[in-house]
Amino acid sequence: MSILLAIDTSAGTSVALFRDGVLAAELNVTDNMKHAETVGAAIAQVLQQAEVAGRDVREVAVGRGPAPFTGLRVGIAAAVMFAEGSGAKLSGLVSLDAIALLALKQRPASETRPLLVTTDARRSEVYWALYSGLSDKGVAMRIEGPQVIKPAALEELLASRNIDAQTTDLVITGAAVGELALALRAAGELEADVSALYLRAPDAVEPKASGQFGKRVSS
Amino acid sequence: MTSWAIRMAGEQDLDAIMRIENASFASDAWSIQNMHDELVGAERFYVVAYSTAAETEELIGYAGIAKSMAAASADVQTIAVSAEQRGKGLGRKLMNRLLEECNRVGIGEVFLEVRADNPTAESLYKSLGFEQIDLRKRYYQPDSVDALVMRLQITQQPKAEPLVLGIESSCDETGIGIVCGNTLLANVISSSMAMHVRFGGVVPEVAARAHLEALTPTLHEALAQAKVSLEEIDAIAVTNGPGLAGALMVGIAAAKALAVSLDKPIYAVNHLVGHVGVDILERGKLETPTIALLVSGGHTSLLLVRDLLDDVELLGETIDDAAGEAFDKVARLLGLSYPGGPEIDRAAEGGNPQAFRFPRALTLPKDMDKHRYDFSFSGLKTAVARHVEVAQAKVEAGETLEFSVADVAASFREAVVDVLVGKAVKACLERNVPRLLLGGGVVANRRLREVAQQRCDENGIELRIPAFSLCTDNGAMIAALGAQLVMAGRAPSSLNFGADSTLSVTTVQSA
Repeated sequence: MSILLAIDTSAGTSVALFRDGVLAAELNVTDNMKHAETVGAAIAQVLQQAEVAGRDVREVAVGRGPAPFTGLRVGIAAAVMFAEGSGAKLSGLVSLDAIALLALKQRPASETRPLLVTTDARRSEVYWALYSGLSDKGVAMRIEGPQVIKPAALEELLASRNIDAQTTDLVITGAAVGELALALRAAGELEADVSALYLRAPDAVEPKASGQFGKRVSS
Repeated sequence: MTSWAIRMAGEQDLDAIMRIENASFASDAWSIQNMHDELVGAERFYVVAYSTAAETEELIGYAGIAKSMAAASADVQTIAVSAEQRGKGLGRKLMNRLLEECNRVGIGEVFLEVRADNPTAESLYKSLGFEQIDLRKRYYQPDSVDALVMRLQITQQPKAEPLVLGIESSCDETGIGIVCGNTLLANVISSSMAMHVRFGGVVPEVAARAHLEALTPTLHEALAQAKVSLEEIDAIAVTNGPGLAGALMVGIAAAKALAVSLDKPIYAVNHLVGHVGVDILERGKLETPTIALLVSGGHTSLLLVRDLLDDVELLGETIDDAAGEAFDKVARLLGLSYPGGPEIDRAAEGGNPQAFRFPRALTLPKDMDKHRYDFSFSGLKTAVARHVEVAQAKVEAGETLEFSVADVAASFREAVVDVLVGKAVKACLERNVPRLLLGGGVVANRRLREVAQQRCDENGIELRIPAFSLCTDNGAMIAALGAQLVMAGRAPSSLNFGADSTLSVTTVQSA
């Protein structure tokens, strides 16, 4: 029995469990303010639903975002530690790629435009990535991104390059993350990197240098 | 040598289970639908035993309970072992696995019914501690056999010396500690302090990012230091407040995932109470009652601790800046680096602490009603700033000055220490508590320790200052507090708690 646990907190809290490549349990909580509250019980619940013990999990795959800060870290921290506790193999993937996989699998063969995936980055910006289609291994082929940009600037950018892209309203799910992980594994493209894709520097301002008061007045 | 193993049952085991069920209970076997509902039902716990001798997994027994978490009780629903495997102790193994689960989730009573014409089973249950409490006439149909109702009362035996792993991430320190009962096994701290230097203070987002990256190496080092493996850990403890919300969330998510993966209980504990409980690791116990003065970059709190787990009272706290923050801000004013505490200490070397009389806030008689044990440092910081501005203006006007930075630093430090120790000693005397415990990063300040020792000696108060590695934020203190909760037989926290940046000290453990 090969058991894979998929976790993503780039939007809400999404968790899924796959047994031998088949979805056995899934939980998607859309609340995007309660990741820390939700993540533990969500994992416990999919394990219980699939009747699997933590130590039976052989692989953990986690969405690295991009996402705005706080929530994203919850999923990654949980994935890292779950892998430690269960002895499972840990891998990371780009959350936008999982959405792309869903959209590309659903679209008609006649649709050949590139796929544009965007998600809310807050502060009137979006995260975006562009995909050419599915590879023969079943992985979404990213040709641009992920990056963060103002929607108007993104439109301009695509227009300036004459790109007419298909868009999608699909959102991330635990199942999508798991499916992408399985596809990446089959393609031999799973990566161990689970670092968070913030795509922004922390908000922090360095204080103005203080006058060299001490040096001036003390002898 | 045992040639079988036990694991949790699943839907996929249904057919194999039914084969044993039908063979074992010729006249009253459950239907497949019934069995299926049991296997997937809520509050059910089913396990299967399988032979490990054969190449392919062969099911040789199963057992299950229905838990009622609300009533803290459970019923043994069924147990069966295939005919050829009977008499080898497998039934006992299955029962023990069920009881283990009951024990884990805090169930106090387990009930079962057994056929009156099955003495083998009855004696097994008796040997496990079950007692007959009732008889149901002709319970088993169509055979018209009586049922003995048996009950096992589980007294939750808290482990004498539980191995507890604690995770702390409330500010800029990622701390993972491991204790065994009252004994410290590991205390590993990864600090992001260096990353905050250029900002002159802790930047929450920078701290939270650093926590995420520090988790794995800190955990590995703690396990290596304690020479234990994760499988041996009995419980996980984690800080859920007070502190920086984004930073706390990293530790909470990590702790929950670890607890779920290991199937171990989790305890969400109070950071400030952790600072108090850490004394147990050095002295084997916490002498109570005690006054505790906790001073760091984020907190300035005066506590009265009558009982570590049940009676912690907040006497007072800062109404504006934390003492550590005041050190940082004044250090910056004086052109010194971050963190301010050690910098001010260095700068104050040789300075005259009486050179300037900086204000001691909230110490006047009029403050005693509302702010008897509270602190305020923002006015002090402003007073120092004024002082510096005036001096700077004079320098710019070409005047010579009579004071040095050493004098300003020493006088500022003296004002802070005077108020901190003054109020702590006052609390000891007024509340008739002959003990004072210090905690928090500002305890590193040499002058604070000196003045505290001197004034405690003068007043016959016993002063406790834990080792510095246990005074700063650390995971060992969280593990220690978690271990106290385990040893006291407290129920674990649920998996639903969140970060509470303003968690009150009266909440020692969050549900």
